[in-house]
Amino acid sequence: MVGNKAAATAVKLAKVQVASAFPITPQTTITQYLSEMYAAGEWDFDFVNVEGELTSQVVVQAASRTGARTFTCTSGPGLLYMHHPMQTTGSSRLPVVMAVVHRGYKGMQPDHSDLMSQQWTGWGHQYVEHAQEILDSVLMAYKVAEDPRIRIPIAVGYDGYVLSYTAEPVEIPAQEEVDKWLPPNKAMPSVLPDEVDPSTFARGWGGGDPQMPWKVHHEAILKIEEVLKETMDSFEKTFGRRYGNGMIEEYMMEDAEVAILAMGTIAGTCKAAVDRMRKEGKKVGLIKLRSYIPFPVKDFREWAKKLDGIAVVDRSICPGKGGPVFAKLRDSLFDQEEKPKTLQFHAGLGGKEVRVHDFEMIGDKILKAAKGGKVEQVTWV
Amino acid sequence: MIEIRLHGRGGQGAVTASRIIATAAYEEGKYSQAIPMYGTERRGAPLTAFVRIDDVRVRERELVHNPEISIVLDPLIAKQQAVVNQLKPGGLVILNTAYPPEAVKIGGDFNVATVDATTIALETLGRPITNTAILGAFAKVTGLLKVESIEKAIKKFFPGRLGDMNIAAVKRSYDEVKGPIQAVVKEAPEQKVDIHVGGYGVLKDVSSWRVFTPEIDVDKCIGCKTCWIFCPETAIQWDEEKNKPWIRFEACKGCGLCANECPVNAIKMVRVEV
Amino acid sequence: MGELTITPGSACQGCGAALAARLAFKALGSNVIRHGIPCCPDSTTKTPRFSTVFEGGGAQLTGTSRGLKAIGREDVMAVGFYGDGGTYDIGFQGLSAAAERNENIMVITKDNEAYMNTGNQRSGATPKYARTSTNPVGPRSRGKPRPKKNIPFIFAAHYVPYVGTASVGFPEDLISKVNYMKTIKGFRMLIIQSPCPVGWRYDPAKTIEIARASVQSGIWPLYEIMDGKTFKLNYKPKELKPVTEYLTPQARFRHMTEEEVADIQETATASWENLLKADEMGRLII
Ligand SMILES: Cc1ncc(C[n+]2csc(CCOP(=O)(O)OP(=O)(O)O)c2C)c(N)n1
Ligand code: SF4
Ligand code: SF4
Repeated sequence: MVGNKAAATAVKLAKVQVASAFPITPQTTITQYLSEMYAAGEWDFDFVNVEGELTSQVVVQAASRTGARTFTCTSGPGLLYMHHPMQTTGSSRLPVVMAVVHRGYKGMQPDHSDLMSQQWTGWGHQYVEHAQEILDSVLMAYKVAEDPRIRIPIAVGYDGYVLSYTAEPVEIPAQEEVDKWLPPNKAMPSVLPDEVDPSTFARGWGGGDPQMPWKVHHEAILKIEEVLKETMDSFEKTFGRRYGNGMIEEYMMEDAEVAILAMGTIAGTCKAAVDRMRKEGKKVGLIKLRSYIPFPVKDFREWAKKLDGIAVVDRSICPGKGGPVFAKLRDSLFDQEEKPKTLQFHAGLGGKEVRVHDFEMIGDKILKAAKGGKVEQVTWV
Repeated sequence: MIEIRLHGRGGQGAVTASRIIATAAYEEGKYSQAIPMYGTERRGAPLTAFVRIDDVRVRERELVHNPEISIVLDPLIAKQQAVVNQLKPGGLVILNTAYPPEAVKIGGDFNVATVDATTIALETLGRPITNTAILGAFAKVTGLLKVESIEKAIKKFFPGRLGDMNIAAVKRSYDEVKGPIQAVVKEAPEQKVDIHVGGYGVLKDVSSWRVFTPEIDVDKCIGCKTCWIFCPETAIQWDEEKNKPWIRFEACKGCGLCANECPVNAIKMVRVEV
Repeated sequence: MGELTITPGSACQGCGAALAARLAFKALGSNVIRHGIPCCPDSTTKTPRFSTVFEGGGAQLTGTSRGLKAIGREDVMAVGFYGDGGTYDIGFQGLSAAAERNENIMVITKDNEAYMNTGNQRSGATPKYARTSTNPVGPRSRGKPRPKKNIPFIFAAHYVPYVGTASVGFPEDLISKVNYMKTIKGFRMLIIQSPCPVGWRYDPAKTIEIARASVQSGIWPLYEIMDGKTFKLNYKPKELKPVTEYLTPQARFRHMTEEEVADIQETATASWENLLKADEMGRLII
């Protein structure tokens, strides 16, 4: 099953009620799968065929307000076009789930600049590695987003082509089990004329501390950490699979001296590199970052105490500023007493292939730096 | 530094008045700053603007919280104690009202001057836009700025004939202002109302928006319900029993639409008593 | 019919749009979810209210209507109450697509012929020659250089169940159109001309007078178009009033020359004759 089919299958398993999307490579086939599912009437599902991404975002936003479970998906330029209503979905605290099939701005090949550029819209941002993880993460995203403690939209990002169009085996959970594990969504609060709280009618603008909505929104997103970790446990219990603690997934980290931090498909390549380096006796592990927003600050602070070095591989860059994951990691560790050496690697931008031997080079560099060797701070892989 | 607060309503030109003062100060070689209180003020809604004047460049960009001078462009707002909220002790308030300063009911430790700017504006401009008709009074009682500088500034904002009309308003206000005297009422409880912005949504009472108020002659009324169907604010209520209208005054903005539409002229718009 | 507005609201004195909201919601009743996008405040209503981005009017109605269907509450009406900017301009694409899909929604536009919330800038609904804050009058400008978009016809050309025009000067007509829209399904649109004393620059007491003159002079005819073909003119005076009755009280047209007035008169008369013909046939040929 290809990555996009895994996403569409998750939509079906979650019994999404209203979905809307506009085609764009490499997301296009999800739009087609959803249209086929609608046409086949496989379950009580409505698919809105729209004239642009902005509309698809607003359609799911409004449908979500009514209490329906909703889904949309896009890539690169389509995501940028959605930027404006994404902030409304975020600010309105609507549990929309969106698949972002990464596509860079400079060319059609994937990097993470599309989703990274949406940091201010008030969503949870997750990055996944393979087709099984897409399916599982979309299901978990509903569970987290719809939790009464959260009510925050979640974007699940995965790389175009190498994942969206790449076929690999995927286990599909039984519908009855999903139904039991993921109860139906409902509007919070109800918006129906006969149920709505009439005291909300006369509400005007202004009054109160204008900063308050930002604080509340920020804190709700931070709470995703706790709920995602819980959800990962219950997911494993029900379906027998897990991805670390939900925020990060560790690979060969038990006795690691240094770690490579990577996200998305290239984290898989990195696992292969770690295997090779381990055979050579190099104590290198991988920390796969799954949740960029909220950022696993606590987990990294724990790891900081044990590690001598962390190599951060950013698959996006804010031009003139640098890699966002590197900056956020260093920010998390700045006032910690024990800090590992950190290096910045720019890799996979514009879809540039990142190969196993590239990660071996990254591993060697961080090992050298950790031992006090002289290594340049920033490397373009 | 001198800090000034202006109170008015959308359409009276309080923001323009603040800019004229700031421009006039600049004409005299001073630094100044005119800040409108941001909101989505509609015509008729209460609003506030601020001015700072100093010999050096004004750096602070917060709103004015403790003004020395409060200027009130609207006769109904001028009746509210809130126009002197947080005024510095011994400060000055200039009110648009037909009454002399001795009759002013708001109280505290401040000086008060009055001028009938609405009448001046109606007579010189033909419309109750009182911003320039209060500035002559301001020049005279504060002595902060020369009336010539104010006139010069006005010419920048209103070229041609409109400028001349506004300057005539300034001159009359300069001549007709009464006071300042110490406020007769020495103490009054602070009024905790927000008279800054009209807001965006539902308001409680818009009586202060009216310059003219509708008066219904129920004997003339033929019960056609024309006024009732057209009032945008549902201020006109229908008494089904008597088959006559009555007015919910807290919702009436004094637009005059009902009077204009009444087929038998049973509604008259009369100038609000202040 | 009870009042659905909560007053006083924060619109200006004599605001035509505030009256349009009052009349439209009075007729709609309370089984409605109201949808808004940025615009002037007009009137608040006793209805649940959704808001989204300026450009998202058609999409949010679509989402609500589909969502209501999904949760089994198709009895609730998804109604948008939007400005002309949100209808003719920035929201046009999404509304056109919603019309093409024939979404089960109602779009009511309070057409005050400019972006009033931001201070009277031109919109696609601004008539020719009108002075706006972005069409000042000067040696190179005579106000807005191009005529108002014919948005009712454009939407009728989407072959939707209902497109109508209304005016706050004709409340019975307005209310009966809303009542009719309630009885049918699919994409329904009503454009209500709503004079704005601030932007059109006239004494607020004259809102109705001007709205009426606009209809009576053929500037804003009242009609309805069903399924893009059935046409009905709802107000047919024996003789049109001269357009000057509409133009003269408004300072936004004060700079107009005699030739410019004649231009407007000619256009109004010609299009009125076309509408009369269509009315006689009872159909449009799009
Ligand atoms: C994307 C976007 N662009 C611009 C604005 C600023 N804006 C808010 S309301 C408005 C004009 C509204 O005009 P219209 O739709 O005609 O409604 P009216 O204010 O006349 O009622 C504008 C330009 C905005 N809110 N969002
Ligand atoms: S003056 Fe205007 S607001 Fe007041 S009752 Fe008449 S129509 Fe209504
Ligand atoms: S600017 Fe015009 S449309 Fe807007 S509230 Fe005022 S009168 Fe109404």
